[in-house]
Amino acid sequence: MMPQFLVVMIKELKEALRDKRTLNIMLMMVFMYPGLVGFMLHNQIQKATKTERTGIDIVMIGAAQAPNLANYLRQKSVNITEKDAMSEADIGKLLGEKKMAAVLKLGDKFGEYYGELRPAPMELWFDSAVEKQAQRRELETMLRDYGNGVASARMLAHGVSPATLSPFALQRFDTADSLTRSNTRIGFFLGMFFVPVCIFGLAAAIDSTAGERERRSLEVLISQPMRAIDLVAGKWLAASALAAIGLICELSVAHAVLKYLPLEEIGISWRVDLPTLALVIAAAMPLCLMVGALQVAMAMNSRTFKEAQATAGIVTFIPILPVMIVPALELNTQNWMYAVPLLSNQTMFQALATGQTLGALPYVLACALPLLLTAAAVGFAAHRMGSEKYVLGV
Amino acid sequence: MIHVEDVHKSFGDFPALAGVSFSVADGRATALLGPNGAGKTTLMRTLVGLLKRDRGAVSIDGIDPDKDPMGARRNVGLLTDQFGLYERLTTREYLEYFGQINRMDKAAINRRIEEVTELLGLGEFLERHCKGFSQGQRIKVALARTLLHRPRNLLLDEPTRGLDVMSTRALRRALTKLREEGCSIILATHVMQEVTNLCDDVIVIANGRTVAQGTPLQLCEQTGIANLEDAFVHLVGTEEGIAA
Repeated sequence: MMPQFLVVMIKELKEALRDKRTLNIMLMMVFMYPGLVGFMLHNQIQKATKTERTGIDIVMIGAAQAPNLANYLRQKSVNITEKDAMSEADIGKLLGEKKMAAVLKLGDKFGEYYGELRPAPMELWFDSAVEKQAQRRELETMLRDYGNGVASARMLAHGVSPATLSPFALQRFDTADSLTRSNTRIGFFLGMFFVPVCIFGLAAAIDSTAGERERRSLEVLISQPMRAIDLVAGKWLAASALAAIGLICELSVAHAVLKYLPLEEIGISWRVDLPTLALVIAAAMPLCLMVGALQVAMAMNSRTFKEAQATAGIVTFIPILPVMIVPALELNTQNWMYAVPLLSNQTMFQALATGQTLGALPYVLACALPLLLTAAAVGFAAHRMGSEKYVLGV
Repeated sequence: MIHVEDVHKSFGDFPALAGVSFSVADGRATALLGPNGAGKTTLMRTLVGLLKRDRGAVSIDGIDPDKDPMGARRNVGLLTDQFGLYERLTTREYLEYFGQINRMDKAAINRRIEEVTELLGLGEFLERHCKGFSQGQRIKVALARTLLHRPRNLLLDEPTRGLDVMSTRALRRALTKLREEGCSIILATHVMQEVTNLCDDVIVIANGRTVAQGTPLQLCEQTGIANLEDAFVHLVGTEEGIAA
């Protein structure tokens, strides 16, 4: 015969999956967050590859005075629209249209000064509120490089080696590979994948406790030949099962999205394989158990669904705090991070996603506190469910 | 067999039960009469071990619900003013759920569902979700749940409220049959017609105390009043009994 807690769990799951509110929240969370991350990364990739594909659009005023410069820029994928004189207002209006990255204005005496080897007047107009700053910086680098080339040629003509101006020969070596770069670039996103765990089973936890009280069906249930611990365990496991199902679906969708995107374009990569993903999900199971238990323990004290949304909502918010705060502190990974629920899963996912091998300690730490809190919450809920004070309140 | 002897239960300084005593033998139906706030709900909850008495003795087929609440509940079918239906379950699923909780096997559950369906006329809405059920349909389903595990003792709080005449008659027939099969029935009610039609004995409680117990005729003789309702009001000492 089926254990009573399993009977309760199956009934609660059946009811929850027939509840549009629970299903809608689950579906939204499963697709919304991975979709959002995918959209943001897709945008980054689009921006990073845009210059390469379409070049930098600028307006050049007085280009006739510097044909070599204009040709140099054209070779570097700069699309130049030549114009005669423009007023400040016209330039502002043009940049406001957000089509041009900048307006390069050569002064009237550019040619004259250039010929006399005096600094030739040149103005760069741009709108820093427009998202073309990377292209503008790229243009400035081109102008600097061109200027350096001209300066070197002039120095050589005067019998001075251009090397005189370079006392150092600086070479840069970046030891980060695409995997470790991924850690810093998408580490925060990875942590946020665990936040919906606190939401997937929330409606079911509330509905099966405060909802039962509101609908006045709880007295019937507690009058049955069933221990309070079986009743609580059934409701707890149903909420936790929904959290686990939601997480599995969400991470699978996220995995598919990250695999599909050409992340190499922005210098990162997603090389998490299915066994690693399964390991991450398995390590998050204590978190699912903990969240379900805390939500049931909190929600059962409320008399209405709405009241429970406020109290159980606290449980949802608290584990999210470390995930928001700790990454902002830019700390190196330390063992204590594996002991904090949710933060531990984020840290672990980051480590595994960047190809690190973890020992047993992080896994033990990641399971210890959630399981302890689960036991405490279930124990409290069962004790409370069996108490006279609670019976009088149903 | 239900035996209650000098049961006391207080909530803080308020004595909800202040000396309730009665016995309900097997195969007897007993009406529990009392004004609102007399302690009926507290008494019912004490009988199934949801509340622990301060003193006195309770026995349900020889089991003390304070010591073995699960054992006592297995022998009890409790119908309170809370029907406890689930809107997203069908009537059949609802009954299966409570059958499983009462540790019945699948075959027994199916057999009993057929029996209570016939007994209470659930056929029309057996496969329908409980959402939108009328008051009569709700109470029928709740009654079916109460009877499903064949309890030897029934504690029913106003089981005919909201039922139409046909359903009330069907319920009466069902309870009469259960009584003949040897069930002890406690029926909390405010409908005197039900008491005279169905019950062998009457217990009157007021202010948490048993003020009278006997057959309807004995109560009338005791008070010297021919009408049971008037006798009840006289025993309770207030008009509140019939106001409810």
